Amino acid sequence: MVLKVFFPSCCATAESGLLVGRWIPEQNSAVVLAVVHFPFIPGQVKQYLSEVQRVTQINMCVLGSWSNSKQEKEEVLDKFLEDLSTIFSHEPWIQLSKERDSKFWSCCIFQKYPSSPKEDEFILVYYDQRKVMLSQLHPTDNLTTSADHKGNDASKLGAVFDTVAKSKVLFMTDRYDDGPIKLTHWQSEGVEASIIVELMKQASVPVCMLLTFLLSLVSSVCKSRVLKFWPLSFIWSKLSTCEQLGHRLEHLQIISSNRKAQNQTQLMRKANIFVSLLIDMALGILLMSWLYRENRIGQLADTLIPVADHIAKELQDLLQWLMGVPAGLKMNRALDQVLGRFFLYHIHLWISYIHLMSPFIEMILWYVGLSACLGLTVALSILSDIIALLTFHIYCFYVYGARLYCLKIYGLSSLWRLFRGKKWNVLRQRVDSCSYDLDQLFIGTLLFTILLFLLPTTALYYLVFTLLRLLVVVVQGLIHLLVDLIDSLPLYSVILRLCRSYRLAASVKFRVLEQKAGKPLRLLMQINPLSYGSVVQTYRLTTYACYPKDSWSSLCKKLFVGELIYPWKHKGEKQD
Amino acid sequence: MVCAQVEASPGKCWQKVLYERQPFPDNYVDHRFLEELRKNIYARKYQYWAVVFESGVVIQQLCSVCVFVVIWWYMDDGLLTPQWLFGSGLASSLIGYVLFDVIDLGVGRKQSGRTRWADLKSTLVFIAFTYGFSPVLKTLTESISTDTIYAMSVLMLLGHLIFFDYGANAAIVSSTLSLNMAIFASVCLASRLPRSLHTFAMVTFAIQMFALWPMLQKKLKARTPRCYVGVTLLFALSALTGLLTISGVAALLFALLLVSISCLCPYCLIRLQLLKDNIHGPWDEAEIKDDLSRFLM
Repeated sequence: MVLKVFFPSCCATAESGLLVGRWIPEQNSAVVLAVVHFPFIPGQVKQYLSEVQRVTQINMCVLGSWSNSKQEKEEVLDKFLEDLSTIFSHEPWIQLSKERDSKFWSCCIFQKYPSSPKEDEFILVYYDQRKVMLSQLHPTDNLTTSADHKGNDASKLGAVFDTVAKSKVLFMTDRYDDGPIKLTHWQSEGVEASIIVELMKQASVPVCMLLTFLLSLVSSVCKSRVLKFWPLSFIWSKLSTCEQLGHRLEHLQIISSNRKAQNQTQLMRKANIFVSLLIDMALGILLMSWLYRENRIGQLADTLIPVADHIAKELQDLLQWLMGVPAGLKMNRALDQVLGRFFLYHIHLWISYIHLMSPFIEMILWYVGLSACLGLTVALSILSDIIALLTFHIYCFYVYGARLYCLKIYGLSSLWRLFRGKKWNVLRQRVDSCSYDLDQLFIGTLLFTILLFLLPTTALYYLVFTLLRLLVVVVQGLIHLLVDLIDSLPLYSVILRLCRSYRLAASVKFRVLEQKAGKPLRLLMQINPLSYGSVVQTYRLTTYACYPKDSWSSLCKKLFVGELIYPWKHKGEKQD
Repeated sequence: MVCAQVEASPGKCWQKVLYERQPFPDNYVDHRFLEELRKNIYARKYQYWAVVFESGVVIQQLCSVCVFVVIWWYMDDGLLTPQWLFGSGLASSLIGYVLFDVIDLGVGRKQSGRTRWADLKSTLVFIAFTYGFSPVLKTLTESISTDTIYAMSVLMLLGHLIFFDYGANAAIVSSTLSLNMAIFASVCLASRLPRSLHTFAMVTFAIQMFALWPMLQKKLKARTPRCYVGVTLLFALSALTGLLTISGVAALLFALLLVSISCLCPYCLIRLQLLKDNIHGPWDEAEIKDDLSRFLM
């Protein structure tokens, strides 16, 4: 059986004394947390340890003795150390000693009742107490190869990490604090420079309370029944700005709640949300400062109307082209003219609407621009909504085209069954043969012929408007993607990974320091940081997903059949 | 060798059963095997004139298609006014309607339980829908090439002839599909005519020709076979004369086709029947002879 001793590297230069720490019997390993210096009174040490144990909930005990043989005479000390093992009864009793001018440490073990006759092996593992205390071990969820084995290892390491992290109280005692016993371990740098932090901590409580109150007020207004009636609730669900605002409100509520985060994940989540909010607002204010300088709003409003006009003009040209002989296709002239005029009238309506709006556009933009102080994401959502509103005519065209096309496709498919003397059996979900009357057959075939010859015309209109619609959807989708990125990126975790990479540990690696026969193997434990990909994956903030729920194939099928595609479907809503 | 040895062993008689272990290889058969051979047990003996009489249905259908195409040709050339076509069609339909009931003295009508009101309703539906849709039909195929339309019509009319219910009991027969194909072809052809009234008359004529006329024929054939032969001859002659006014060569070819179908094909059938050599025996697939109707109760 190999005996492992985890030894803090900061204690390597400590004076001789007692090793204090936790014994993990399942792994046959000892985690040394501190060294108690001579001289001490055994009763005080025991009392101190029991106090620490009460606070940290860790089974602390005296593991053995430590001798740094710079000053002491060895013969006397050895005898003394052996005696110590009778005072602090611990099984096994570890004796570590560092020799002068030698890189190797000697280590021996005393067992009152030697259970195994053969010689035990030692491995000394050095660890950086501060880093291990602060780091958060992320168990790898690899279920692929040797999952059991790896999981076992991870849990072993987890016990060591856990022990060190829990004994934080031990390390927080001041270096200059004169207690009854003297300890060596890693010590925090003290609290002298953190008055500002303390002040902020004090101030944050009332601020949080005020914020919580305001937020509960706002959310109660939002949830009031007046806003739940049909047209309003429908509009809220369709405007991405509302979604984004609701999302941010939730975030603020999470941050400002004065409940303590229960575990590391929740703490990280809070911090991530806070940092992403801060960055978002900073970017938004930057955008605002750019917008409101040099009358940029006015310029924007001045260009918006001509752009809308230009789009309408292009659409008119497109319709004129479709009403002729587009790409040499043979369209039904009568239907072509009817559809073309119908759509032209729509564009006419749209242009007059825009011109009616034009005097107010600058004012609207000015007020809307103020919302950028709520964050860049809100501004982007508003931009997306404005695009949706400005391309409403394209959406209308798409809906008309899709409905017409859908009608034709369904009509044709059922009439094709009639043409072959079949029908769709709803109860059995299959095509059955059926004997039709003469007049049914006649009218069915007549309609089939008409629909078949009119299909290319409708299909072309549908195709063109679907492409236009998809273009708008892609632009909106990109904006939504950007918003989603800002929303969901765990910036705090990423910064932590960048600057304090040991805080997010994925695993550890051991470096061999010295190895010599007859002497214990000495290893240095180093922390492997988590990769950036898994950082983002682990701490990704949940967002309201604005992605299309369909896979590509079902999207293509929907496009072919002529069903309406809603790119802005949210998670809560059903498909139908 | 093995068979001979096994056969040599006395006392064991081969049985055609699988449930007993026998000292013979699996593929063994004895000399009695071919005793059960039967030849031509399902072959039928045909009478020449009976076959000729039965071929009348095919002749009729070919002539229907021919008359339809000839009438369309006249309309397209302006030799026939739509009013005249519609009027004569209506008159002949009325005569046919009366005949339909007179032939079997109203027995068929009683059996089917179809009222005159339903007939009137169907007629109204036909005329109203055709009249209402005729302007749409007129402009339907404007932008499509005439050759495409012709090709499509020819394909559809061929399909109509192939899938028509000539009385054979085959899987390919589908009277619904054949009627639909004929209507499709008529709509395609009618959309090439100069005015919407022409279209209307043409589609109405197609219904009379492909939907109503075969029904009358079937009844005629069942009730008055002599009269049916006369009508078939008359119809074939009129189709031929109509075709002759358009093209002599086509009329000649069509006449040859009709003669070969009604006279040559039956002759060939009866001659080839003699050469039939169809063997049946114990190697055939098992047929369940038992009366299955008791299972269906």
